[in-house]
Amino acid sequence: MIDFLFSFAYIEPCFDNLNPHRTYEIRCPVHGFISLNDWEWTVISQPAFQRLRRIKQLAWTDYVYPGAMHTRFEHSLGVMHVATLLYDAICDKSAEILRLDLAYNRDGLGRDRQLVRFAALLHDVGHSPFSHGSEDLFPKRGHGKRYEHEDYSCAIIRSELRSAIEDHDLNANYGLHAEDVAALVDGSVKAKQPIFWRDLISGQMDADRMDYLLRDAYHAGVSYGSFDLKRIITTVRAIRSREGHPPQLGISKGGWHAAESLVLARYFMFTQVYFHKTRVAYDIHLQKALKEMLPQGQFPRPVGSDLQSYLRWDDWKVLGLLANGRGGPHGDRLKNRDHYRRVYDTPEVSTKKDFELLEEVKDKLGKLVVAEKSAAKSWYKMGSLDIPVVDDHNTQDVRPLSKYSNAVRGLKANNQVFLYVTPEKFEIAESKVNEVTANGGH
Amino acid sequence: MADINEARLALIPVLAARSKGGYMGRTALMKYMYLLQVVRGLPLNYRFTLYSYGPFDSDVLVDLSIAESLEGVATELELYSGGYGYKIKPSSNAEWLKGRAGKFLSRYSKDIDWVIKKFGSFTSAELELVGTIVYVDRESGGTKKRLDQIAKLVHEVKPHFSEDKVLQYARRLSDDSILRASA
Repeated sequence: MIDFLFSFAYIEPCFDNLNPHRTYEIRCPVHGFISLNDWEWTVISQPAFQRLRRIKQLAWTDYVYPGAMHTRFEHSLGVMHVATLLYDAICDKSAEILRLDLAYNRDGLGRDRQLVRFAALLHDVGHSPFSHGSEDLFPKRGHGKRYEHEDYSCAIIRSELRSAIEDHDLNANYGLHAEDVAALVDGSVKAKQPIFWRDLISGQMDADRMDYLLRDAYHAGVSYGSFDLKRIITTVRAIRSREGHPPQLGISKGGWHAAESLVLARYFMFTQVYFHKTRVAYDIHLQKALKEMLPQGQFPRPVGSDLQSYLRWDDWKVLGLLANGRGGPHGDRLKNRDHYRRVYDTPEVSTKKDFELLEEVKDKLGKLVVAEKSAAKSWYKMGSLDIPVVDDHNTQDVRPLSKYSNAVRGLKANNQVFLYVTPEKFEIAESKVNEVTANGGH
Repeated sequence: MADINEARLALIPVLAARSKGGYMGRTALMKYMYLLQVVRGLPLNYRFTLYSYGPFDSDVLVDLSIAESLEGVATELELYSGGYGYKIKPSSNAEWLKGRAGKFLSRYSKDIDWVIKKFGSFTSAELELVGTIVYVDRESGGTKKRLDQIAKLVHEVKPHFSEDKVLQYARRLSDDSILRASA
């Protein structure tokens, strides 16, 4: 099976541009070489995808970790690579479950491998400038809910990238439609049988998380995001769980320490990078500066000609406007590194008592508080991650990772809250906080 | 706690307390939240999307973890042959958590009763199936589908349920006016 799945890699490179079987390799600082076929190369070459070169992965994080200048472009390639490693490993180790429970044959697996690669490659193609940092400026779509970047990704797949996906010569072997890719990214019933693979794109053990942890840690120059990806690849499984439930992704018992390292990497990266007090402050300024620049203070919708307007927004455009003084006072704060200061924070795992004290502090500070940020509302949330672990010698023995790992069992959700004040008012605010905490014992 | 969605957190111990035996599993929590938002229109602001195990939003599990940290609920692990499950029960600070969203809970009390009354006796596999049927029905949008068309689509994402079995559950939901599809 694996020989078949990898067969394209054995084709001799050919330098005739018309050869649809031509393959490519791109250097990646995290994974080494990432292989592409001509079809994927065509999709990547589209302007809508090339735009990701101009969208930084971690917004203004480089103001804290100067190396964090990487983009959604290289992350997207990395997700496709990791998703493929996971896919191939599952096809190899869990062939019987795929065949019997999901009715897969060899052709079906070959087709869905390509589908998963496209979904992984394109899942972030709809990101706004500076990635998650500006997502609160997406417009609302009824019922008070905002569009999310996945809505933009799917709209782009269905329109801008449709022809590149559907019209390549290699597609004669697969019969893929742009809708198939969008349905897998979006979580639509139109995905049909391949919905099983959606966990590889967006789930507890998804390729997205595995790539961004490693990549963000590498570029930020921190070691916190490291985990044993190779061991996860060799131990990932499709697992038959409870009666009446579909198979789910998990790990074999031999790999539970690697899964534990993934969970811990996520914890460390969250506390040290994603929810870093200064990084969060720059997100506040970015949003407020962007609100000044955007028509009606929000991004265009992911429909029709509005989508074309949306695609013209990237980091370059925002930086140009900022340089021209179009970001208002918050644009000036970004330019001058004059960010809000965190004056108070609750513990990482805050209790009822901590929140009661927070209310007291807020009452004392009154209008001095210019922003309040909660880890529970952060884009990189720290919730439950309990991966199923199966004993390869007794597949009836399925337990959650927390049953094996003391560290995972003890890890609680981060519900920390930060209060910010202007730098000009920091000292007076700090003294007010001290008045409360001296009595409250925080 | 202004920046945490208090209503969502407060719902967790309430749903657990009203469930049979005073506890519920994670699947039940996920699907109750889904049905309350989509069928009864509670403004929970989750973004449910479809997986092979039905509609899912990881934010529900984030909220569960926070409710656990705040001791609004406590979760016990249950192991059995071929798998495991969780028992979510109200804990020492459940009343405090509920008090933070008292108005919301009173306003939607009948809806909470509804979801427990209708689905409280369902197994987790049945709840996954019901959630998927409702998801497919709602995804059809303005295009009204027939129940047999919905059953076919659901079977394609959940092949471990036969079309006949799906149709049987779809009819029950349709009889209760939960689906928009026509018989």
